[in-house]
Amino acid sequence: MARGLELLLSAILLAGLYATMAYGLGLIFGVLRIVNLNHGGMIMAGAYLGWWFHEHAKIDPYLSLPMVAAFSFGVGVIIYRGLVRHLPRGAAGGAQSLLLLFGVWLVLRNAAYFWFTGNEQVIRTEYSTTAVVILGSALSVNRLIVFAIAALLLVGLHLLLTRTYFGKAVRAVAQNADSCTLAGVHVEGIYTLTFGIGSALAGIAGLLLGTLFTFNPSFGGAELLKSFVIVVLGGLGSVPGTAIAALILAMVEVFAILVLPAYLTGAVGFVLLVLVLIFRPGGLFGHRVLG
Amino acid sequence: MSALRRLRPDWLSPSAAAAFLVTIGLLHALPHVFQLSPYDHNQITLAFIFLAAALAWNWIGGFAGQVSFGHAAMFGVGGFVAARIAQAQLVPFWLTWLVGGVAAGAYGLAWGHPTLRLRGPYFSIATIGVGEATRLVATYWQGFTGGASGLALPIDAGLKHALYWYALYFLALVAIGSYAIRNSRVGLGLMSIKSDVEAAADVGVPVVFSQDLVLFLSSAVVGVAGGIYASYFSFIEPTDMFGFDRSISFVLMAVIGGVGTVFGPALGAVVFVLLRLYLIATYPHLYLGLYGALLVLVVLFEPLGISGLIFRVARRLRAQRSAT
Repeated sequence: MARGLELLLSAILLAGLYATMAYGLGLIFGVLRIVNLNHGGMIMAGAYLGWWFHEHAKIDPYLSLPMVAAFSFGVGVIIYRGLVRHLPRGAAGGAQSLLLLFGVWLVLRNAAYFWFTGNEQVIRTEYSTTAVVILGSALSVNRLIVFAIAALLLVGLHLLLTRTYFGKAVRAVAQNADSCTLAGVHVEGIYTLTFGIGSALAGIAGLLLGTLFTFNPSFGGAELLKSFVIVVLGGLGSVPGTAIAALILAMVEVFAILVLPAYLTGAVGFVLLVLVLIFRPGGLFGHRVLG
Repeated sequence: MSALRRLRPDWLSPSAAAAFLVTIGLLHALPHVFQLSPYDHNQITLAFIFLAAALAWNWIGGFAGQVSFGHAAMFGVGGFVAARIAQAQLVPFWLTWLVGGVAAGAYGLAWGHPTLRLRGPYFSIATIGVGEATRLVATYWQGFTGGASGLALPIDAGLKHALYWYALYFLALVAIGSYAIRNSRVGLGLMSIKSDVEAAADVGVPVVFSQDLVLFLSSAVVGVAGGIYASYFSFIEPTDMFGFDRSISFVLMAVIGGVGTVFGPALGAVVFVLLRLYLIATYPHLYLGLYGALLVLVVLFEPLGISGLIFRVARRLRAQRSAT
């Protein structure tokens, strides 16, 4: 029973991070109708950036978070303004945007190999191994901080999208971009900012992941797929939906350890992805993601 | 004359058929005429295998517009099934490829039938999941794939040299298949599915059957390519066969050459193989990024890749000729 509780707590902590990671993908998809395959690349870039700040500038990863966020936001804006904007919109743009962003991911991966080699890295701080005891189970301080940051970000995003003019404009563009143009919303500007924010969330998630797990330039592929599972399950544009879907994925992954041999737990996320797409493509809450 | 005409489907132009036969004949004679070095001989063999796989990827990814990032799964299944049968040394090796191909086709159908009703990005993302799950299972399934240490095949002296012609005729069959599918009723159905699934279904295109059939064929051909690849190296291991980079390579070849065109992916595969040969030797650190950049350039400037460039040049030439 104690083990069950421990696993449950660990799943909840992981879910916070997953939700942040998935929200970046979901936001871009909801507003631009583009699956950002470069999401994995931005996660990887965020992890390396945090690692670089920590190794070379001796900045604590949690303090470098604003810089990583700003950098990823900038990269996202450049990718949108320089590349994605020039694609045809609509159904024909689907496969092309996938391929384009996939190409960007390959370039980022290659850049990471070039600068940081293919060695496994991790952001290791002096408190990486510290733990506190909560409800009788030992929890790493690091995981708690990551969860707290992720939760704060999600609340902030929720407020941004529901309480501000910008948020209202984003939701309006997601519903009908043409009408927004008529109503005087600067649609291209919203697209650019959305792509930037989505990329920034991926970068932040990468930094946070990098403090928990090892990474190399190929890092981010599994995270991209997990984000996609959460987006499909949780529906678009709702922070609570995303949080619940993230919790489901984290629970399935964590509790799979009890029934599956350890080496197969990595495949659980992929199998869940395919199953969700086949059986619940409309998500859990009826916000249909599929067109 | 009329009997001959009935033998030939009306979409097959005699000049195209003649050009095709001459090309195959030239390639058949190439090693005899030029005394190719073993290195060149082997590289061309390998190129034939990838050309065939790229053409087959295009059946589902190009004709039907369902971009698959998971074809390495079938390449691996075909390769390992063929390798396992070859180890028993009971049947001739071409039969091992065939069985590997059928196994790969069945595997493709098993995951493809439920996922093919997804469209666009959803299908593509699902294929990433399928490919990666298959890779993980294959890497740890020691009993079948030998795990990380891989499988060695019985070595047959002379087979590697002879593979050139096996691979060439396999490629020729796949090329004929590409042409036939593109121009047949099924192929036209696929084009309509690509444009608008619902409209296609409304006018009576068997959407599920067409996609299942073409994914089965595409998977089977990629599986046979995996089997020949296994015979070529006499040693295979899961990371190489099932790796994500393998899946990407099929996508890259088709996109560079021209997605959805009949022979474009073959051109793309030639460019891919040549680039790989020279880049790995001179710039081993940059080849991945170069493929990425190439992908970006193709998507932004010439969505039909090399084929698009050729069409453009041909149009300009024709325009000039009619102007003078």
